[in-house]
Amino acid sequence: MEKKEHIDAFYQEFEVFSRKNSSAPMQHQFSLLAPNHEMALVMAKENFMRREPVGDIWVVRRDNITKVSEEDKEMLKRMDNKDYRETKGYGYLKKKWRQYEQQMLDEKEIMSWAGGIKRG
Amino acid sequence: MSLFAFDSLTEEEKYDRFLERINAGEKIEADDWMPDDYRKQLLKLIPMHGISEIMGALPEKEWVPKAPSLRRKLAIMSKVQDEMGHGQLLLRVAEDLMRPLGKRREDIMEDLLTGRLKFHNVFHMEAPTWGDAGVIAWLVDGAAIISQTMMLTTSYAPYGRALKRICAEEVFHAQHGEAIVMALAEGTDEQRQMLQDAVNRWWESLLMFFGPDTSKRTGNSNQDKNIMYKLRTKSNEELRQDFLTKYIPRIHSIGLTVPDETLHYDEEEEMWVYQQPDWDKFKQIVSNNGPRSQARLRLREISHENNEWVREALGKKQTMQTASV
Repeated sequence: MEKKEHIDAFYQEFEVFSRKNSSAPMQHQFSLLAPNHEMALVMAKENFMRREPVGDIWVVRRDNITKVSEEDKEMLKRMDNKDYRETKGYGYLKKKWRQYEQQMLDEKEIMSWAGGIKRG
Repeated sequence: MSLFAFDSLTEEEKYDRFLERINAGEKIEADDWMPDDYRKQLLKLIPMHGISEIMGALPEKEWVPKAPSLRRKLAIMSKVQDEMGHGQLLLRVAEDLMRPLGKRREDIMEDLLTGRLKFHNVFHMEAPTWGDAGVIAWLVDGAAIISQTMMLTTSYAPYGRALKRICAEEVFHAQHGEAIVMALAEGTDEQRQMLQDAVNRWWESLLMFFGPDTSKRTGNSNQDKNIMYKLRTKSNEELRQDFLTKYIPRIHSIGLTVPDETLHYDEEEEMWVYQQPDWDKFKQIVSNNGPRSQARLRLREISHENNEWVREALGKKQTMQTASV
């Protein structure tokens, strides 16, 4: 009994996040047990980043994370009634623009402008 | 390179290594070493961008109560909410850059109200009709999309990540704008006239939006430095040309004109030729002497004052010592 209590206090739970490159969002990988932040970083690398390219790693003590309760998760559910704020509510424009011999500026077109529109 | 080795470099060596990094396409994080001048350039650009999102919500907000249908009202309300969200993203990026200088969000707001921090020329202008609401979402946002997507590859990583979220939402804004404009363009003669008037009203502001082609026109420009630091890839003029290339054919296709008879594409030069906007007027407008500058600043000031008790109630009062760091 004595010994078990000691181990529980020695290890803490850490949640591990990483991003592939500097433009990617931080992604949750998994959790691990480590005695401190330094060890958690080392173990994160060994446990979860043996193959995939990685640009940055964060470890956060689980105690420091505030979560949504099971009950409050009910509030996260959405009704499918907001197409006025999504591009799917404007799909009809594609046909309209075609009548005017123009293309609609959709997500594919706009995001292809990243880094500057290519000329020619 | 280990931290120890990096610390032992001279300032000049650190600067060279920094340029090497960005020239190799590496991105800079908030906690990375950066030259003071790079931070300075970022702080000229990002607080202005962030506060422009917030000031930019104001002309459109005027149309929330007056939108012609419930659906349009919901859509323009969503867009206003997005713009405020973009302001929040960008101000966070700015705040992390300002922290080592002992400045915070309160300072950004103060700089706006005292006129030290400027906001985009387009948001100083009037939006008197629903046609203006359409033209703002279609063409003003269109111009903003051209310049924001260009900076997606910026060397400052937190700015790039903010822009990625922003541009994804801008797709909806562009389509919301197209929807309003298309409905008016296919509407009655009066509606078509209202739309044409709005385009005429906004044309000069749209050309101004990208800034002068050379510093000679307004006496200062940061574009060369920002290209060197890989904050941006294109000059003001290149962006304006891209805007004309993308939007002039669309404007003409739905039967609208622009109020510039000299405007044409020079096939030989591969350039749009257009009448320069009045750059002295531009300087006046961005110095808070535009038609709606003072009214919109006052609106911001009122909401800042009215919400003060909320900030105080929610936040722990800072001791004088912490506040003066």
